Amino acid sequence: MMEIGLNHYLVLSTILFSIGLIGVMKRKNLLLLFFATEIMLNSVNIAFAAISHYYGDLTGQMFAFFVIAIAASEVAVGLGLLILWHKRHSSIDLDKMSTMKG
Amino acid sequence: MLDNILSILIFFPAVAGIFGFMIHKDSMRAYGVSVATIEFALSLWLWYSFDSNVSGMQFMEQLPLVESFGINYLLGVDGISLFIVVLASFFTMIGIASLTDTKNVKNMIITLLMLQMTMVGVFVALDAILFYVFWELSLVPMLYIIGAWGGPLRIYASVKFFLYTFAGSLVMLVGMLFMAYFYYQATGVWSFAILDWYRLILPESFQLWLFGAFFIGFAIKVPMFPFHTWLPYAHGQAPTIGSVILAAILLKMGTYAFIRFSLPLFPDASTFFMFPIAIIAIIMIVYTAMVAYAQEDVKQVVAYSSVSHMGVIILGTFALNVEGITGSIFLMIAHGVVSGALFLLVGVIYDRRHTKMMSEFGGLASVMPRYATIFGLMLMASVGMPLTINFVGEFLSLLGFYQQSHILTLLAGTAIIVGAIYMLAAYKKMFFGEVTNEKNKNLPDVSKRELVALIPLSIITIWLGVYPKPVLEPINNSVESIVQLMHDKSITQEAKSRIPNLVQERATSAEEAN
Amino acid sequence: MEIYLYLALFSPFVGSMFAALFGASPRTMIAGIVPSLLLFVSFVSSTILLQHILAGGEVVHVEMMTWMETGNLYIPFGFVVDQISVTMMMVVTLVSTIVHVYAIGYMDHDKAFNRFFAWLSAFVFSMMILVMSDNFAGLFIGWEGVGLCSWALIGFWYHKESATWAANEAFIMNRIADLGMLIGIFLVFWNTGTLQYDGAFAAMQGLDIETLTWIGIFLFIGAMGKSAQFPLHTWLADAMEGPTPVSALIHAATMVTAGVYLVVRSNELYALIPNVGLFIASLGAFVAIFAATMALVNRDIKRVIAYSTLSQLGYMFAAAGLGAYWVALFHLMAHAFFKALLFLGGGNVMHAMSNELDPFKMGALGKTMKGTMIMMTLASVALAGIFPLAGFFSKDLILEVAFIDAHYIIYTVLLLTAGLTAFYSFRIIALIFHGEDRHTALGFHPHEAYKFMLVAMSPLLILAIIAGFMFKMPYFEMVTQLLPATEYHVHSATTYWIMTIGTQLFVMLAIFFAYKKYMAPGIKVPDGTSAMENSFKYKLLINQYYIPYFYEEYLVKPYRELSTVLWKQVDMKVVDATVDGIANMLVSTGENTRTMQSGNLSTMLKWMVTGLVALLSLAVVFGLAVKYLDEIKTCLSSLGV
Repeated sequence: MMEIGLNHYLVLSTILFSIGLIGVMKRKNLLLLFFATEIMLNSVNIAFAAISHYYGDLTGQMFAFFVIAIAASEVAVGLGLLILWHKRHSSIDLDKMSTMKG
Repeated sequence: MLDNILSILIFFPAVAGIFGFMIHKDSMRAYGVSVATIEFALSLWLWYSFDSNVSGMQFMEQLPLVESFGINYLLGVDGISLFIVVLASFFTMIGIASLTDTKNVKNMIITLLMLQMTMVGVFVALDAILFYVFWELSLVPMLYIIGAWGGPLRIYASVKFFLYTFAGSLVMLVGMLFMAYFYYQATGVWSFAILDWYRLILPESFQLWLFGAFFIGFAIKVPMFPFHTWLPYAHGQAPTIGSVILAAILLKMGTYAFIRFSLPLFPDASTFFMFPIAIIAIIMIVYTAMVAYAQEDVKQVVAYSSVSHMGVIILGTFALNVEGITGSIFLMIAHGVVSGALFLLVGVIYDRRHTKMMSEFGGLASVMPRYATIFGLMLMASVGMPLTINFVGEFLSLLGFYQQSHILTLLAGTAIIVGAIYMLAAYKKMFFGEVTNEKNKNLPDVSKRELVALIPLSIITIWLGVYPKPVLEPINNSVESIVQLMHDKSITQEAKSRIPNLVQERATSAEEAN
Repeated sequence: MEIYLYLALFSPFVGSMFAALFGASPRTMIAGIVPSLLLFVSFVSSTILLQHILAGGEVVHVEMMTWMETGNLYIPFGFVVDQISVTMMMVVTLVSTIVHVYAIGYMDHDKAFNRFFAWLSAFVFSMMILVMSDNFAGLFIGWEGVGLCSWALIGFWYHKESATWAANEAFIMNRIADLGMLIGIFLVFWNTGTLQYDGAFAAMQGLDIETLTWIGIFLFIGAMGKSAQFPLHTWLADAMEGPTPVSALIHAATMVTAGVYLVVRSNELYALIPNVGLFIASLGAFVAIFAATMALVNRDIKRVIAYSTLSQLGYMFAAAGLGAYWVALFHLMAHAFFKALLFLGGGNVMHAMSNELDPFKMGALGKTMKGTMIMMTLASVALAGIFPLAGFFSKDLILEVAFIDAHYIIYTVLLLTAGLTAFYSFRIIALIFHGEDRHTALGFHPHEAYKFMLVAMSPLLILAIIAGFMFKMPYFEMVTQLLPATEYHVHSATTYWIMTIGTQLFVMLAIFFAYKKYMAPGIKVPDGTSAMENSFKYKLLINQYYIPYFYEEYLVKPYRELSTVLWKQVDMKVVDATVDGIANMLVSTGENTRTMQSGNLSTMLKWMVTGLVALLSLAVVFGLAVKYLDEIKTCLSSLGV
């Protein structure tokens, strides 16, 4: 049985990040966009925790906690805005949000 | 008060301009005239208390702005800048006094006063950043004057004027930052003071690049060929007062900056680029003179003639000897007076006929004899008739450059031929012949308000042509110190031989005298 | 003496300013009389100065004030009255006083009477500066000043297209020459360090020949313009558009001789460069005959006299070029008298004939205009050089100079010209005053000019008669204190008598021939049908060798067209279009890339990712490049880069 090392965690983190990135680029539903963002953030968390463990330095894990906290608050604010948007436009389709068109 | 006279000269019109918002529309003109007159009196006082035997800076003021980077509010005046300051306040005064009936006269006068602040600021600033600030600020009132009171193409013209000169100045700003950085590297102290920079000797390759950076900023302002095309538009669209100030003062910023920055900071690069620049100057002289000859609009003739004359100024500047540089500074003043007067004269006829096309006129000499006389005087000054102000400058500039190159001076000297061609042709079209156009039959001659501006200009044109000494002497002293500085700090053999060593010359001539 | 110098110099200026005061008001006699009186003052002062110099007094030299002073350059307003300038001052003030008085009558009916006198006196002032200045810069002031006044006076009747055209032509052509002059002045300054005559000429003795040659050439180019030498001669004939007193004063007696004055003044320079001198002499001889041929056929009395002036200027340059400076100056003086007289007489004729200038339309005017006829005839005799009038002493001397210096070609050319001169002078005399009456049929009723005009002309007449034998010796003794005192004597008496009498006979023959041909009955106003008028020679001459045509077609027109092309094609479509092109490029880049900013969140996210990837890959590439720098270098060097 192979020892699970740092590289495995980093590969997992990269795969998760790529999934999240593709999700961010492809999804048209704002809610799913949030999900994808969460995946990306958590992939980074995995990397932080793994590297932190590898070096025996707790700073990385601490940072992961910060990320979780910020992600939570971001989702809270984001969902609030999303609900407002849905109330006003009864749609959360990304393609319809184009008021920033230059 | 005399200690702070330069600050007063800069900020008095600005403060007065702000107070101007509170003045009633009807008394605005009187208010403007009195402010400008006080300002002019102050500048005369400056001239009076100026010690013309001192070649260095006088009335210096210093206030730290950003101490850690050596940026100071540093002012001073020497023989080179003194007369342009006087000229600026003089032109603002007669410009406001002779202002014709315009809409929003209040805004116009306030803008002019603001413009005056920036003009004086540019010429007395001795700190590069301060200089840059005034340099750029001067664009704003002019942009407003052209854009708000201009002709049908005013937006295009003003935007072109602004963006073009602004783009050039940014390159200049980069050059300034580099210069300050090099100074920091050499001395360990940050400084943007021009007088500090004068002491810095740079390797030739650095000089060449920095010279290039400064050159673009200055050349667009002058404007030098091929950067001159904003000028005809700006002049063509600007109201009379805008053209007058633009031609008389704003263009001089570029040539002044050449003498203040390029020559003493980069003597080797100046020598290196002397011939290319002289060739550009000759192109300016001949090419724009020919273009001026082809014009149909009399204002464009004067506008292009400005470019042509600026060519002579540039040539004199890059003669790199006392005669040439003194001549070019004198010619700046001369050209200010003469082209300012010519634009005023064009304005006179424009007010009457609302056209500037020469084909519309003809035979005006018999309808408006006084107008024709003053125009004729300014025309002759413009073509460089001796005993008018222009001749002194042109003669000295060309004489100076003759030491550097015979053949180029010969080519540049065609200025006196081509200049005569377009000016006489324009004069003939406008003033000679029979009055063919019915509308011209009963034009009134110049009014009193117009004479207020034209008579003093005529007097100056002749007075400084016959007796230029009061102006020439202070200029000469300051220029001598600059030339000596350039000779001393130049490093290449070429520059040492091209830039005369005055101390040595004096010594040898004194020896010969003994 | 200084007070007389200032009086002589500034009286015309005061007169000019006085008349200018009345510039805008209607015609007032006083605007003509006061300048004339002031000129008389100037004349008297000049005479006093002449007396002073003649009596062996010191040269009067004053320095009024500084003009320009910068660097090593120092130019004062300095004036000098020496033997040369006092000669010129006498000529200038005398002729201009007479012309002023004459013009009071001549311009009698002109609306712009006051303006005329303002300019005419201003001209005299400039001319006085020109001849009295003690340095080249002051000379240049006068030089340009006379050019300006000449411009204003040729174009005096500015409503006439031809007059203003001629004025501009004269000014611009003079400007071309002035450039040469200016360059000459620069050369003098940078090589001698001063522009004062005495200092500069002293320093020139030590300069190398090449520099001196250039100085000589450039100064002479300046002289060529003012004195209308080939190829800058066309303006002089066209300048006849101005009022006749102007032609008499400016374009005959004074301004056009400024070039000769310059060469005489610079005699110390030209003595060092005999090759340039020879060129000047050859050009002078060429112009003498060239202008004389054009005068043969012209049908405008003023133009004939103008060509004759040109021809005589050629004589002067021939003499000056050969080193006979005092002879040139002497001929200048004599010529001023009889040529001004001739012009003023021509003015009388013009007045009488209501500005008609074609001598073929006149004929038999001698009956009504006896005074004018006598004066013009005597002036022509003087011009032709018949003993004992002024022309004989001055012109024959030039022939002798050429002969003695063994320049036989120049001598022959000048001799031929003398014959031509006699012929064309008497051609117009015969056509105007003698022969059949052709003018009455054309509806002209000529009348003699005012008495006082004739009286005013009479001093010129007297001088034209006596200037030769009365003044030659005292004049010689005076000017040769300053100029090389070469006496020109033909060695053998026989040769001398043969030459003199031969020349006289030749000239008289020409006169006789002219009378015979043009007094003959049956002369009609040419209408372009006669065989002679269609001959090539005639066409060549009447069209002035097609030189004005050439200038118009090949210089003026191309310049005008090139100017338009430069403006419309180059300036607008190349230079300005480049600037606008750069601006437009920036705008269009913006226009094209704005689609990126679609406002669609997922598109924007895609762009963000693209940018991120691009930056990351750049970072990786640079990181690798830095890491393997040495390897890359060896790799590249092995490839020979």
